[in-house]
Amino acid sequence: MHSWLIHLIKLLFPPQVLLPDIIGIDIGLTLSALAIVVYLTKTHRWGWLWKEWLTTVDHKRIGIMYIIAALIMLFRGGVDALMLRSQLIVPNAHFMGAQQYDEVFTTHGTVMIFFMAMPFFFGLFNVAVPLMIGARDVAFPRLNAISFWLFAFGAALFNISFSIGGSPSAGWFSYPPYSELQFNPGVGENYYLLALQVSGIGSIATGINFLVTILKLRAPGMTLMKMPLFVWSALVTSTLILFAFPPLTVALGLTMLDRLFGASFFTLGREGMPMMYANLFWIFGHPEVYILIMPAFGIFSEVVPTFSRKPLFGYEAMVISLLAITFLSYGVWVHHFFEMGAGPGVNVFFGLSTMLIAIPTGVKMFNWIFTMWGGRIRLTVPMLWQLGFIPTFVVGGASGVMLAAVAADYQYHNSYFVIAHFHNVIVGGTVFGLLSGLYYWWPKMFGWKLNERQGRWAFAFFFTGFWLTFMPQYFLGFEGMTRRMASYPAGLGWGGLNAMSTIGAFIMGIGFVILVYNIAWSRLHPEWDTTGDPWDGRTLEWSLPSPAPAYNFARIPEVHERDAWWSLKQAGKTDAVKLSPDQVEPIHIPKNTPMPILLAASFFVGSLGMVFSWHWMAILGGLGVVASLAWGSIQDDTDRELDPASVLNTEKRLGRVHP
Amino acid sequence: MRKAPEDPTLPGESVEIPLLAPHLSTPHFPARQIAGYVTSLILTGLAFALVAYRLLPLSTLLIVVLVLAFIQAAIQLGVFMHLREGRGTTWHLPIIGLGLFVGLGIVGFSIWIMLFKSGVS
Repeated sequence: MHSWLIHLIKLLFPPQVLLPDIIGIDIGLTLSALAIVVYLTKTHRWGWLWKEWLTTVDHKRIGIMYIIAALIMLFRGGVDALMLRSQLIVPNAHFMGAQQYDEVFTTHGTVMIFFMAMPFFFGLFNVAVPLMIGARDVAFPRLNAISFWLFAFGAALFNISFSIGGSPSAGWFSYPPYSELQFNPGVGENYYLLALQVSGIGSIATGINFLVTILKLRAPGMTLMKMPLFVWSALVTSTLILFAFPPLTVALGLTMLDRLFGASFFTLGREGMPMMYANLFWIFGHPEVYILIMPAFGIFSEVVPTFSRKPLFGYEAMVISLLAITFLSYGVWVHHFFEMGAGPGVNVFFGLSTMLIAIPTGVKMFNWIFTMWGGRIRLTVPMLWQLGFIPTFVVGGASGVMLAAVAADYQYHNSYFVIAHFHNVIVGGTVFGLLSGLYYWWPKMFGWKLNERQGRWAFAFFFTGFWLTFMPQYFLGFEGMTRRMASYPAGLGWGGLNAMSTIGAFIMGIGFVILVYNIAWSRLHPEWDTTGDPWDGRTLEWSLPSPAPAYNFARIPEVHERDAWWSLKQAGKTDAVKLSPDQVEPIHIPKNTPMPILLAASFFVGSLGMVFSWHWMAILGGLGVVASLAWGSIQDDTDRELDPASVLNTEKRLGRVHP
Repeated sequence: MRKAPEDPTLPGESVEIPLLAPHLSTPHFPARQIAGYVTSLILTGLAFALVAYRLLPLSTLLIVVLVLAFIQAAIQLGVFMHLREGRGTTWHLPIIGLGLFVGLGIVGFSIWIMLFKSGVS
């Protein structure tokens, strides 16, 4: 054989990807992919897939694709988590080697944050925000599709690393000097850098898109202070993304220069400054955790009033506390590295600013509780996730304040206490919120509800498993177990707590399986939502049929009060959303275009070239990016007009025309 | 093209700032954009060359690179961010102020945080 071929095979398949479990997964994935290809070919659905989904610019469909991708990534990140916990169930276990353990915790964190939580709430933004503000789409529909495909190809790039070339292994925040070439010579870190960079471009574009959508496309009469709270949360999240992602771009870009082009920004020696990476990363990283939690706050602020039959308590206070959290979240990042040695002045400043965030968050907690107080509460599945969220998030928030106390943080730092804290807020806050929103808006997305009884079981398992997994970890932290240990010796008293934690993780896994079963079962036995308002909702999306037609609103509604749809129902004026035949106007909607998927595919090719330092391939991908952008810029024929007759027909079929 | 919706809620029609007065022109050939792009490339190349080949002493170098950066930021805002082309230009001011606040805040805080290095190395 030629020597270059041997070299290539060694580069693509280093020993770390030739483990039996990874080869097993490779075979399973290949077979599943083949099965999908055969299914699509046999049912002649390639054209349908291309025309209806891959080239779509409709925010509702993009939202659904985001959510499907996020659920798949939740599965991947969850399997990673179960592998980690299996390793730790007893002392001295060697289910995986230390190298593989490092890879698995790195991909678990990165996948869960960048490829599960973020696309999940981007999906819910897409599904709900335009409908809630009475808009026909987002401000830049094609950019929206570009964002989605950049995320999708970024996620694909990250996920192929474990079977081709090897996974990254430096943790989800990838600190130098360990992430530098000197200590981490494979291509794994390159995958991390490029995948996050590609999907990060998409995230920034989404932030801009929703900022403009919310500021410019609200229905007449919907002033800022009449917007639903979920829209407010989308607004502040978008602002945070806009200001937080550029420092990440810089940190990743400089690390890439170090690794691929021999620079020395963060290296040991040659005047590199590894801690500068930590500084830059957490300027992004701390606002990022608020990017993750704000949408959940918004979801709960919709779910609680709906299922308590009361308007949200203290709307103004809720808005002000959202803005306060947004502002404060930029001034706390040093609490991730108090131990760097920056001195008492710096540490006290950032410790205090961290504690301050507890105040607006506490305001929100009380307001949700006061909204429920005296309300007629319906214990639906979205409401159960909300009720589970309140105690969970309070515990997570309180342990966060403990971590903010600088002197005490020297004890907690890098221990399982930190692990328990951030899973407490990210799972108990973000994931509970996202699942609540998933059940809440599901009928609006698909036109059928998810079975309630199965949903309650999924919640029960996930919630119980959650507490069993993470409460013992606080105590493991107190007993000195540090994070990222691939194994631990017997005789330290950690065995029992670790075993409990692992059992809890598997119970959460069962909860996830029930959730998937719930979706599949409900698809086969759909409970159709014929009214468009299955929950007796309060905001404008429930005034539309489920699912909404392509143009959303045949006539843009006028808004007079905060809970616009609820106030119409109270006044007995729900017919106001129906059309008279003479009111129908032609509607402009954007045309589907393959440009976004081609652009993102070019980014994928170019990035893969960068990962392996195949410069011809990087240049090829770069040319593809330029060509897609140029083609997109000279396209004139970007939208079409729905003629009034077809709009009237659709509305008639939906029973929304005055006789 | 999609029609931009009229938005009467934005302030700014009443107050005009000469520097930010709107210039609503749409010439056919994007000469301004191309000039801005080429200038940006030259400024970047210049900064890179100055650092790569150490053409100036360190203290002068820092100042020159900073000045180049600010010129480029102004070009980006003026040419590509259409700073002077929108209606309601006073609406831009708080947003630019916020951007400066966050940007300079990050730089200032980072210097403060990383100063410890001078004490330990």
